[in-house]
Amino acid sequence: MPLVRKSTTPVDAPPSGLEALRAALASSSPDERWQAARALIDMPGGIALLGAGLATEADIRVREVIFTGIARNATPAGAALLLPLLRSEDASLRSGALDALAAMPAAMLAGRLPELLHDADPDVRLLACELARGLPSEDATRLMVDLLERESEPNVCAATVDVLAEIGGPQALPVLQRNAERFASSPFLAFAIEIAVKRISTTLDAGR
Amino acid sequence: MADVMGKRILVIDDASLIRLYYRQALESAGFHVDEALNGLEAIEKLLLEPVDLVIVDVNMPRMDGMTFLKTLRRQGSPIAAIPALVTSTEAAPQDLDAARAAGANFYLVKPLAQDVLVQYARLMCAVSA
Amino acid sequence: MPADEAGGVNEDEFRRLCEFIYRRTGMVFTEAKRYYVERRMADRMLATGSTSFASYFARLRSDVRGEVEQFINAFTVNETYFYREEHQLQCLSADLLPRRIARPRANKTIRIWSVPCSTGEEPYSIAIWLLENWPQVDAYEIEILGSDIDTRVLDAARTGVFGRRALMRLSADLVTRYFEQTDDENWRLIDDLRQSISFSPVNLVEAAETRAHGAFDVIFCRNVLIYFDDASRRTAAENLYENLLPGGFICLGHSESMSRISPLFDVCRYSDAIVYQRPMERADG
Repeated sequence: MPLVRKSTTPVDAPPSGLEALRAALASSSPDERWQAARALIDMPGGIALLGAGLATEADIRVREVIFTGIARNATPAGAALLLPLLRSEDASLRSGALDALAAMPAAMLAGRLPELLHDADPDVRLLACELARGLPSEDATRLMVDLLERESEPNVCAATVDVLAEIGGPQALPVLQRNAERFASSPFLAFAIEIAVKRISTTLDAGR
Repeated sequence: MADVMGKRILVIDDASLIRLYYRQALESAGFHVDEALNGLEAIEKLLLEPVDLVIVDVNMPRMDGMTFLKTLRRQGSPIAAIPALVTSTEAAPQDLDAARAAGANFYLVKPLAQDVLVQYARLMCAVSA
Repeated sequence: MPADEAGGVNEDEFRRLCEFIYRRTGMVFTEAKRYYVERRMADRMLATGSTSFASYFARLRSDVRGEVEQFINAFTVNETYFYREEHQLQCLSADLLPRRIARPRANKTIRIWSVPCSTGEEPYSIAIWLLENWPQVDAYEIEILGSDIDTRVLDAARTGVFGRRALMRLSADLVTRYFEQTDDENWRLIDDLRQSISFSPVNLVEAAETRAHGAFDVIFCRNVLIYFDDASRRTAAENLYENLLPGGFICLGHSESMSRISPLFDVCRYSDAIVYQRPMERADG
């Protein structure tokens, strides 16, 4: 009978202690850095070390575990590490940071969102819309309506409409209708607004 | 429409309304359209069924557009050679170069007008005008 | 486009539902599954008293009374049986193990993990399948482990008694050879087989627990990651990655995709299944 039971050799645990892990984080082996990054998440002082490494880490798997760890750890310190990355030139750092922020409890970010939605950088405002998607419908609607009312960048407007089309409430209808006129000559935006209005109206009717 | 019959396009973009917008335009022009939200999902779909063209956005979660392209170009035949139209909100020259280096055939700033999209789709699927 | 009869949904609604479920759980519903999805949704609409797609979808999105989990449950069909998802077993013997044995390895033991194993049908199925279908089975030692977070199902798995429905996919010949009938409705797995599988508790989200199980050549992890929230799901995927030997494979449920969960794995397409692989040892490049 080829089937056997044996005593198990556990998977190697990473080195312990902040110093050993700091050294491992600088290893030329991506697997060693991967292990070290995972272990550092739960250690005091670990998150700061990881944040420093994130910008220079080229391996996507190592970056991924750092992002996951920060997301799971879900502390303001971790969020503070991720937020600046929304401005990064590197698309994968931006999207990794966004994903990690979106995986944190929505309540953690609720306080930071208004600020992000007022950021001078339109790309940051655009990414912040994605974070609003995780909020309760009323809060998300309020924030998106507020942004849409004052926003000048078409791509950011498009992002607000995308969120409203998914979770927008009836309070969004007036601003959407105003913007339908404003963007009548922008084919995609006109299309998106029409869809959002239709979906919100259908949900409204269904609720009656 | 006979000349696009059977031509398949995969639209890869995180934004559902963008995908819907492109889908409407491309389906009206006679293409068969499938969608993916991120580069990883796209690779899986392509492994199951190759297409004649991918339209891929740069900014996506899990696997961004450039990484997707590089991964695609490393796969075996036939999917490695699928033509790719990259879309982005960025328009700087270095982004164009980066896209080309990653394996893009064309790079356009979004959102695309529907007629421009169809024009490029017909061109890149080698469909006679 | 108008909606179909009650229970049917239009194109736009179907796509929105699929997208929401994919973002939330990682499950992929293709057009081929459409009728099945609509039927399950109709069941849930009835159960929740929703009279339109819009009102049901709002309920699902807000996860009213855990509707997302209810919805997923409708798909994973809690009933488990031997040789469920046979195409993955086929892939195991036809593609995964041949690749495994082609790599030189000091340790000749092939380790396979079934997690969650529930009442044992999956790990026992793997054992029977390999004994019956893998030509090289006698040339290797094969260690199969079954783990679950629920200790009651582990007790049942160790007992190894199964009812008629669990055996419905097995030929009479297989039942005769691997089971002893204990009464009208129950069959007990033969001792040899029962005693050759180890069962253990595990919480997939806890690295200390998963590490203790060691490194595997193949992991079957079906229909559990879809229940986790994003952060926990990513963590579980990382733990599973750590439990794979370089070049090892992980198989998810047939509607699940790693694409929503984690970019750590390479995706492999074989004729019978899509599986995910931990890359071989890497150097910075």
